[in-house]
Amino acid sequence: MSKKRIIVFGGDAAGVAAALQQAEAGMQVTLVESSPSLGGELLPQTKIVDGDSPFLQPDLEALRKHPNIEVITNAVVVKSMSANGKYTFQIKRNTPRVDMEKCTDCKECIRVCPIHMYDDFNEGVGFRTAIDYFNPETAKWGEYNIFKEDMPICQATCPANLNIRSYAALIADGKYAESLAVIRQRLPFALSIGRVCPHPCESACNRGYVDEPIAICALKRFVADYEMHNQIDPPVEVPDHFHPEKVAIIGAGPAGLSCAFFLAKAGYHSVVFEAMPEPGGMFRYGIPEYRLPTKTLMHEINWILSHGVELRCDTRIGKDTSFEDLQRDYAAVFIGVGAWTGMKLGIGGEEMEGVVDGVRFLREANMGKKVDMKGRVIIIGGGNVAMDAARVSWREGFDEVHVVYRRTRKEMPASPWEIDAAEHEGIKFQFLVAPVEVIGDKGRMTGLKCLKMELGEPDASGRRRPVPIEGSEFVIEAENLIAAIGQRPDVKFIPEDGGFDITRWNTFAVDQETFQTNVPGVFSAGDVETGPDIAIRACANGRKAALGIARHIETKRRQAA
Amino acid sequence: MIAEAFVNGADGIMVVGCHFGDCHYITGNVQGKIKVGLAERVLTYVGLNPKRVAFDQCSSAEGERFVKLVTTFNEGIRELGPLGTGDRLELPELKERLPIARTALAKEKLRWVVGKFTVFATEGNKYGEVFTEHEMWRTLDTIVMDEVATHEILRELGQEALAVTDLANRLKLPPPHVLRYVLALQRRELVDMVGVDGSSPRYKATDRAVQAA
Repeated sequence: MSKKRIIVFGGDAAGVAAALQQAEAGMQVTLVESSPSLGGELLPQTKIVDGDSPFLQPDLEALRKHPNIEVITNAVVVKSMSANGKYTFQIKRNTPRVDMEKCTDCKECIRVCPIHMYDDFNEGVGFRTAIDYFNPETAKWGEYNIFKEDMPICQATCPANLNIRSYAALIADGKYAESLAVIRQRLPFALSIGRVCPHPCESACNRGYVDEPIAICALKRFVADYEMHNQIDPPVEVPDHFHPEKVAIIGAGPAGLSCAFFLAKAGYHSVVFEAMPEPGGMFRYGIPEYRLPTKTLMHEINWILSHGVELRCDTRIGKDTSFEDLQRDYAAVFIGVGAWTGMKLGIGGEEMEGVVDGVRFLREANMGKKVDMKGRVIIIGGGNVAMDAARVSWREGFDEVHVVYRRTRKEMPASPWEIDAAEHEGIKFQFLVAPVEVIGDKGRMTGLKCLKMELGEPDASGRRRPVPIEGSEFVIEAENLIAAIGQRPDVKFIPEDGGFDITRWNTFAVDQETFQTNVPGVFSAGDVETGPDIAIRACANGRKAALGIARHIETKRRQAA
Repeated sequence: MIAEAFVNGADGIMVVGCHFGDCHYITGNVQGKIKVGLAERVLTYVGLNPKRVAFDQCSSAEGERFVKLVTTFNEGIRELGPLGTGDRLELPELKERLPIARTALAKEKLRWVVGKFTVFATEGNKYGEVFTEHEMWRTLDTIVMDEVATHEILRELGQEALAVTDLANRLKLPPPHVLRYVLALQRRELVDMVGVDGSSPRYKATDRAVQAA
């Protein structure tokens, strides 16, 4: 019977004391510390307070000598599992970058190291160098390491991991073409993303703690616009020889076109099938003209297509061509059809004339379909689709536009600048109001019965759950209603006996590395894989899928040979 | 060498190299331009007017161009006047700080970093990250600030033991910054605590630091 094993996280004074205590009690102790050295929080100027005994100094000597203690430094826990009263941990040890067998602790490296950085090991009391021994007490045991920062926070936050640091710096140097080339290493849609991205990178930007974040998104738009406005032809760089295999891509949206672009870079021709009359997907039919002009978008798409990508519009898979045909005729199939079905409100009278869902409304407005736009319109929802629908309907000529949202402005998921702009344009907001029933006359909507709400306890999403106030019903008179409460993918085009693993959100379950579905040779990314999400994520995953497809085809070719 | 000239009372320095691509040592003029740029930054940081340092290029066959470059530079210096006029700091103070620039430029740290400049900007570092010139200069700027402050502190502490607040007053730097530099120096065993004055400790440069200087 082996001894009981105990794991202690954190090698500060308390962690070391706990480890020693448990080891004395006869346990087998493992101590895990994220920095390369034990005894964090040990203040080096403790000498100031007392001559010889620094007050936080843990008993490291005893710790080292104890037979029952195993110390793992420079390591973090990546996964923890529990079963049958036992815990299992997966621990990742960071790369040691100093050969401790050769290090003689002469401190010469620290004296000349040019990088002075925030001393996270000592809570920022002093500076630390990039190569450091962290705790002077343990230096003689050899715990030197070079601390290499991971990606900058903006790059890590960006779903596409764009090399923001470099392209922003290249703009500062005035090297616009090089900057754009850096962006295009990972993203073909610099013009479009520069216009529509809700830029999570800027929210994470460290500069925001000083004054304002770096305007990363606007910078990207600037370089892309600079090229377009100066009639510079964007470079088309593809390999000299393409492979014989062809890939079928369903959906010419952000994910599909990104995938086609990077497949071309990898030397594969692809055929993009698009159900709508024009390419672009949600860029074209979901995002209103005032946010992303069609001319700009087409400029970018034509450039992508010039990489040897064939486009077949007005071709709906399942109607014009069957999915099985694609599987048979092409080496791989990529599904990037997006999420185009608006969610139903689930209230009475929803089938009445005048009620439409947000994505359909935006699609028809983008296609230039003229409908009778007058009187009042109510938009239900608080996301960016709702804001787009509200601002488009205001432009289309409705007399009054009301946005109805069941929580408050603070909880709205839409980008704050979109809400501000909508309000500024004259759109009226009604917060803490939930729809109950669409009322109408002879099948034509005349108003919406609503209920007032108040905020209760936070729910699973961390937002406070709205609770209805009894007897507070009232009616908003309106002729039209746009429900923008979310979208879902429509995956009916794939054969039922295809054996695809579809999640309960109607999305494909894929391998997160290769983006291959459970059916070999079929890949999927974009909204149809993630559910409704931001465009940059669709582009990023489209790129990863392209790499996955290239790898899949290569493996197959090697197996055949 | 550039700093040395200013320490000895020069009013301006101009370095003229070959055109890029014409260097006998292949990239010598590229390195030279960066080195002069670095010297300019360090000297500016200790209070000199950057117009006093210039780098230009001219081939041995361009006599006319050379005359023009020298005349223009000469006129510029004449307009500025002798050292201490038209500079950020006045003469006695500037004279005192110029040797710090000389020490900083002569030490291995700045020389090693500047040697890596072209490598990082073209081939990239060990992790394959290529940096732009803009980023390299920005990094160098912080290292210059660090180095100048470090050598100023070491010079003061080499003469007598001082508390951080006194040191900060002398160097006209915020005390928290000075404390950080002193602690960093202590970690490198270049500064040691020699006594406590009331509640504030006094530091002095170690023998090793004095010898190195």
